[in-house]
Amino acid sequence: MNALLTQLIGSAVAVAAMVGLAAWARIPRPTLPLDQQTARDLIDTDYPGYPINAVWIAADGLGAIARSGDHALVLAQLGDSWVTRDMAWEAAVASPIRGGRVRLRTPDPAAPNLSLAVSGVTPWPPQRGPEAPESLIAA
Amino acid sequence: MTLDPIKPAFDPVTLAIPLFVLTIVGEILLRRFRKVKAAYETRDTATSLLMGLGSNIAGLLTGAAIVAVVIWVWQHRIFDIPMTAWWAWVAIFFIEDLTYYWFHRLSHERRFWWASHVNHHSSQHYNLATALRQTWTGGVAGTWLLWLPMALFGFPPAMIAIQKGISLVYQYWIHTEAIKKLPRWFEAVFNTPSHHRVHHARNARYLDANYAGILIIWDRLFGTYIPETDEEPPRYGLVKNLGDFNILRVAFHEWIGIGKDLAGSRSLREVLGYLFGPPGWSPDGSRETSATLKAKWLERQKAEGEAEAAPPMAAE
Repeated sequence: MNALLTQLIGSAVAVAAMVGLAAWARIPRPTLPLDQQTARDLIDTDYPGYPINAVWIAADGLGAIARSGDHALVLAQLGDSWVTRDMAWEAAVASPIRGGRVRLRTPDPAAPNLSLAVSGVTPWPPQRGPEAPESLIAA
Repeated sequence: MTLDPIKPAFDPVTLAIPLFVLTIVGEILLRRFRKVKAAYETRDTATSLLMGLGSNIAGLLTGAAIVAVVIWVWQHRIFDIPMTAWWAWVAIFFIEDLTYYWFHRLSHERRFWWASHVNHHSSQHYNLATALRQTWTGGVAGTWLLWLPMALFGFPPAMIAIQKGISLVYQYWIHTEAIKKLPRWFEAVFNTPSHHRVHHARNARYLDANYAGILIIWDRLFGTYIPETDEEPPRYGLVKNLGDFNILRVAFHEWIGIGKDLAGSRSLREVLGYLFGPPGWSPDGSRETSATLKAKWLERQKAEGEAEAAPPMAAE
């Protein structure tokens, strides 16, 4: 029992040391804030064949919502990687804003909550203006 | 010489723990000084390593019961296989590896067992830490039952445990992008970083492939081998990636998904489909399985190929 406990404690210390080393090394994949084309490319990777009408980019560039007909294709950054989910466009438009972020709920237990930054310049849902194509404007 | 047929003389995985730590440190430092290809994201690394630690603890909870069942089956064995015979070790090497192939294939192609294996594929990174992102629910899922015929045949429990450990340790070092390709003869026979990168890829073309443990020959034999190509580098993770780094979500999300689906089932067919159908199965076919994703990918490839092969329009 003692040997087992020693092994577990030793493993926990080793885990902490390796995580600390990974943080110190700063070697994640390089990621830049999204632009329209990058967002489209990333969404197309997970949703090939879905026609994209228009894309809304989050205020901090760490996420996007693309409109594809009646679907919203949501892209959110996770660490140095990306997560995508689709939901009904109407549900995405109706998602609440709290703490400067639009809170998107999905029925998928693997990613039940995704949130993207909004601002006065990039409000959600998109408002009529030069930055928002007609297809993104909430009815 | 006599060896205890019940209690293993050594545990290859425990012996390999210092190797795991040293090589992860080595991979991080070599990448830090730009000597190898690798990427480590701090929270992803923490999740992988904590899943490994938690897997050890979860194993303690179910391990005793599993060992008891294996011993009981071995006590009713058909043959007496001596642990000291060289041929017994050669035989168990191949038989255990074949068993692993089918366990691994089942763990990908049937949702009930995928639910316990999915966590190993949930990182969007492919590094040595990812290798330690192990299951917490394997004991409950019962995939260990596949090894029982070996005990019934006569392989001592200690021998099975040692060979399983050797296989697990072998599979550790292939979780890396630092090694591109190994000599052709080695790639032809053994599971390698290149083969296993394909296995961890979420690209449609690479799904459900390369289930090998130590020997890639089983995939070649059973038609599940897909080589890695430079034209399409693997993208790692799940078809639908996890939304955060919560280790409880990593460990249990697919089980929760199964529970939700079963709660909404309206017939025995739906219950069986949600439990034992391929991951992504749904009664109306509205969700994607590996087979539908691959079929759509093939269709797109064909359409693109036809578009490229079409003669250019004549200039007016």
